[in-house]
Parts: sequence; C-alpha cells; structure tokens
Amino acid sequence: MKFQDPEQEQPMKALQVLSLPVGLRAAVLKATVDRQDIPLPDFHEEGYVISFINFKGDVRIATGHRPGDKEQPASPGLGLISAAGKRMSFRTGASVSFAALVLFVPKGWVPHFLGANTPFRKLEQELEEGANIITCRLGRRQLSQLSSALNTAGERSSGSNTAGEEPLSLLDLQNSALALLEYFLCNRHRSLLGVSPTSDIENEDDLSLIREVESYISEYYCSDTFTVDSILKKTYTSYHRLNFLFKSIHGMTISEYIRNKRIEKSKEMIADNVKSISQIAYEIGYSSISNYILAFKKVYQITPGKYKKQIDSLA
Amino acid sequence: MSYVSLENSESFLKCFEVIAEDKSCIVSDSVLYFSGKTGKGFITAAGINTGIEVLALNVSMLTDDLTIRFQPSTDASSYILHFDEIEIPAKGDSDLPVTSMSGVEKGHSAVSIADAGRGKTIVYPRERVIRSLIVRVRKSSLDDLIKDFDAGTIGAILDSPEGPASLTWPITFKYRLLLNDFMTEIVQHPFRELFTIRNVSMLMEYLLQQFFVMQKLAGEGNGLSSQDTRSLSRVEQHLCSQYKKEFPGIEKLSRISAMSPTSLKTKFKRYYGETLFGYYQKNKLEHARKLLDSKIPVKVVATEIGYSNPSHFTLAFKKEYGFSPWHYLNPH
Repeated sequence: MKFQDPEQEQPMKALQVLSLPVGLRAAVLKATVDRQDIPLPDFHEEGYVISFINFKGDVRIATGHRPGDKEQPASPGLGLISAAGKRMSFRTGASVSFAALVLFVPKGWVPHFLGANTPFRKLEQELEEGANIITCRLGRRQLSQLSSALNTAGERSSGSNTAGEEPLSLLDLQNSALALLEYFLCNRHRSLLGVSPTSDIENEDDLSLIREVESYISEYYCSDTFTVDSILKKTYTSYHRLNFLFKSIHGMTISEYIRNKRIEKSKEMIADNVKSISQIAYEIGYSSISNYILAFKKVYQITPGKYKKQIDSLA
Repeated sequence: MSYVSLENSESFLKCFEVIAEDKSCIVSDSVLYFSGKTGKGFITAAGINTGIEVLALNVSMLTDDLTIRFQPSTDASSYILHFDEIEIPAKGDSDLPVTSMSGVEKGHSAVSIADAGRGKTIVYPRERVIRSLIVRVRKSSLDDLIKDFDAGTIGAILDSPEGPASLTWPITFKYRLLLNDFMTEIVQHPFRELFTIRNVSMLMEYLLQQFFVMQKLAGEGNGLSSQDTRSLSRVEQHLCSQYKKEFPGIEKLSRISAMSPTSLKTKFKRYYGETLFGYYQKNKLEHARKLLDSKIPVKVVATEIGYSNPSHFTLAFKKEYGFSPWHYLNPH
C-alpha cells in the first residue's frame, strides 16, 4: 500500500505504509535534507505512534508544524511515543541524513497486547495528561537492529522485489519492530520503577558537557587557532570520551561536527556574494584553500566554485 | 496420566483447569506452576482473543505423561504449530522420534505445522526436560503473515486429502536458543503478550526459512529412514554441544552416527539444510553473538567460544553476519 501524505510537498521519497501481519502498521522515512521539517505521517486513526530515529547531523523535535513551536533536541537512536493525530515533526539542521521507523499502534491493538500492563497504563496516562511525547533512548544493540531494519526496508522500497529471500522481509521488519517496541516499553517501565534505564548516555553531566562544548564551538569555530585540543583543555575530558558522546548525540565525530559548522557558515557567506572563495576559506579558519574545497565537497557534494556559479545563475 | 482435550474453539486456558484439577498445581496470573510432587516448571498461556494463541510449557521431571489432544472439527480454520524440545535430562541427549501410530505422536524434539481441522494429539513424556510452544494461529492470520511468501505451498500440502497430516522438521539450534531465552523470561516479563507475540513472530520466520530451504533441497520427501534421522539428530546434538571446542572432525561424527563420512555429509545436508561445518559454525557464532549482547568484550568472547586468536573470530563473525563484532557493538 502506497500513499503520499497530502500535506507533504517536500521532495521526499514516497511514504510506504506497510501493514504488519500482527496488526501494527509501519512506515519507513528516509531522506537527506537541508533545513527542513519532516512531519510524522498521519495514520488517520486513533492510537499511538512510536518512532525510532537515526540520523547524522542536527535534529530537533518540534511539537507542531509552525516555526514557533516548542522544540527539544534529539539524538540518534531515540525512540518516542505520542498519541496519533498530535502534530509533530523533526526539524533538521543543514545536510542531515535522516531515517526513521514509524510504528502505528491502533487503539484496538492495545488491550490485546499491552492493556493488562500497569506500566503501559501509566504511559497512557502521562500522554493523556498533556505530555506530548515521551522519549527513551535505545541501546547499542537496538540501534544496530534499527539501522539494519531501515536498510533492508530501503532496499525493498527501491523496487528490487525479486524472488529469493526477499519475501521474508516483511516478517523481518515485523520482528525488528516488535523487538524495538518491547525494548522501548520495558526500558520505560524500568525507569518508572526508578531503576536507571540501560542506555549509554542519559547522564545529566554528560549532556551539560556536550551543551557546553557546543556553545564553545559555535563561539570560536571560525578562529584559525581553534583546535579540538583547545576544547579538551578547556573541559578536562579525553578525546575519546568526547567523541563518543558526540557520536551518540549527533551521530558524527567532533571534528566532523566542527567541519560541518564551518562549511555551513561558508555556504551562507558564498550566498551573500561579497567575498571571494579564498577569502571565505581563510575567514572560517582554513589555512589552505584546497583543504577547504575538499571539505565543502564532502558536505555538499559540489565544489564551492560550482555552488557559487549555481547561485549566480539563479540570481 | 493427565489428559486434556480441547475443542477447536476452546481457549488454551481450559488446559489449566483440567491439569490443575488433576494434579496439585497452583494457577496464578495465567501461569500454572507444578508443585514439587508432580514435576517442576510451569505452563503459561498468552494471546487469548488475538487470533494467535500460545501455550508455553517449561517443565521437567513430570511424574506422569501429559497428553494434550486437539479435537478434530469440521469448521476448523486454524493451524497448530509446535516447537518442542525434549531432552533426557541426565545424558543431555535428545529423545528420539518414536514412530507415530495412528496420529498419536509420542513427543520428540521437532518443529511441525498441522491443520487443526484434522485434530492432533501430543504426548509429553514424563521424566524429561521439556520446552515447548504450541501456537494456534487462524488460517487468515497465517496467510497474512506469509502472503508475500510462497504462501500457498504450505496450505496446499496440508489441505490436500492424500497429503501428510502435518509437516515436520528437525529442531535446530536457532529454535533451541530462542526457546531457552523465552522460557527464562516469560513469567516475569512486564509485557508478556508483546514478548510472546514477538517470539512467535521470530519462530515463524525461522519456520518459513527452514521450510523454504528444505523445499528447495528435498523436493518430494528426503528419503531418510527413521534410523537415519535418529542418528542425524544425535550428530546435531553433539555438534551443538561442542561450540566451545574445536570442530569434532568428520571421523568422530561418522562414528557417532554409524554412517560413512560421505553418506553422513549428504544426509545431514538433506535433513538440516546445512553442511556439518556450516551448522557447527553458525551455532558457535550465534552463541558468540549472545555473549556480545551481554556486554562481554570481544576478546573474551573469542576465547570463550574456543578461538585462540581474536582476529580469527572477527573474520569468522564477519563472514557470517557481514559486519565485524566491533561494528555489531558500535553501530554508528
């Protein structure tokens, strides 16, 4: 079953909603986008929507479709549950590759499989009492399961639906979906009981450290004396620790993060069309122009010169 | 001897009443616990009213045989699936198929699917370690489940009047691992129904995969005598138990099976759909994966499953799953 979300005009892959045999519905979102809102698909029915997301870059969760809505930061491997019909979207930063497995649990499904459980009732209550979304981070195991499920689902929708082991993929998707759902609910359950959920980073200290580093980066990233070492000295952390935290929040290493920041900035500067490319490269802290061109190409798959020409031809 | 008889429409919970009446059992929260006098373990049911109904047995040392009989009925529209693992406790050896007489199967380790309409009787023998799942699934649900798949075939085989009453396959390490996990967690799992349905869904996938492979390999019948299958499951047991050590070698295996190496190889492949070494290796790596899941470092896992060199382990793991153990742990 295929359908295109009517409100969705962005050039995104057609959404494929699959009905899983067990009664759930699943959709796979996949896109490489640049500063965009990715809305949750509308299932036109009462129930709960649980999405598991994975991405590389900056993503925030907005509870609504308009720019002024409340936002909260997301991290790769986050699972979130909300009541179906509530508006919610993922607001992405520059050049983000984003993938999500969206599960829809119809209201009728709940009493059969979840209803008898007090933990789920508590969850339902929280959702009714105004909590828009409830989140829970997946563990590493689950994250790898998620990404492999997203990968196979991607192959499936790209049309290679030939004979072989392919027909089992729906069942495969169902298995991953159920496993993730189970993990999500159990982990929520555990945290309700007061046991700390088993995830890699949930620690307030770590989060505040990351926020501190982020603000430090956004302040100094254009200076040519700025290095990762200077961050380490300032925050008293090891490179590996910091990288690990960055990966779990942004899905990329700290140097990739800094590079993306710089290149993003340079892109804006090119669009302003005031300075030459070599000037820009120097200003955002690159000491050699060829390094800068390579970096730009890595992020946007185009050289800055060609990008400039494109902009000029549009103007 | 406990004897439970179920109508086609009756819920699995009915079982409990009968068994509990017969023996001094304790029923609480849809779990039936055997008391020490009559055996150890529990039976639990899940998925009532959902189209897929599951009865899970995890018992050992019953003092009596336990018989569960599904009445044949005309308006039947469901399948009965079985995943049974039955061990003789002391020797750890599998109980071997006893020739079934007039549709009554004396329990043995196997996976099977049967049309509920024809009825079925299962006997769980006493003084054994039994892990078993009985799944009753509506035909429509199963068709949904495998509609993408080569669905017609299973139905057609079971429906044809001259065909077999049930399709049976040998149990493999995959089922065994899953059943083990399932039984340890099911009773205190906070989301029992969800947990059950997930595991059943995985079992279905295994079953379909196995069906698919066997169908390709065998065509019509695999031409193995019951003595052959007995020897083969002995070999399979031995292979599985050896996952911490080196591959036992074809001479040893052929001695166990009392077959010539060549015929052992061909027959094993025909029965299990896998070469001897392939089967051994898959089982080993599946164990490794479970160890990795419980946060044991790669190096330790490698030694644990009998690799002297961690990089050999990494290579083997990569060959099997397509990614290295390290990538398995760090999916970013």
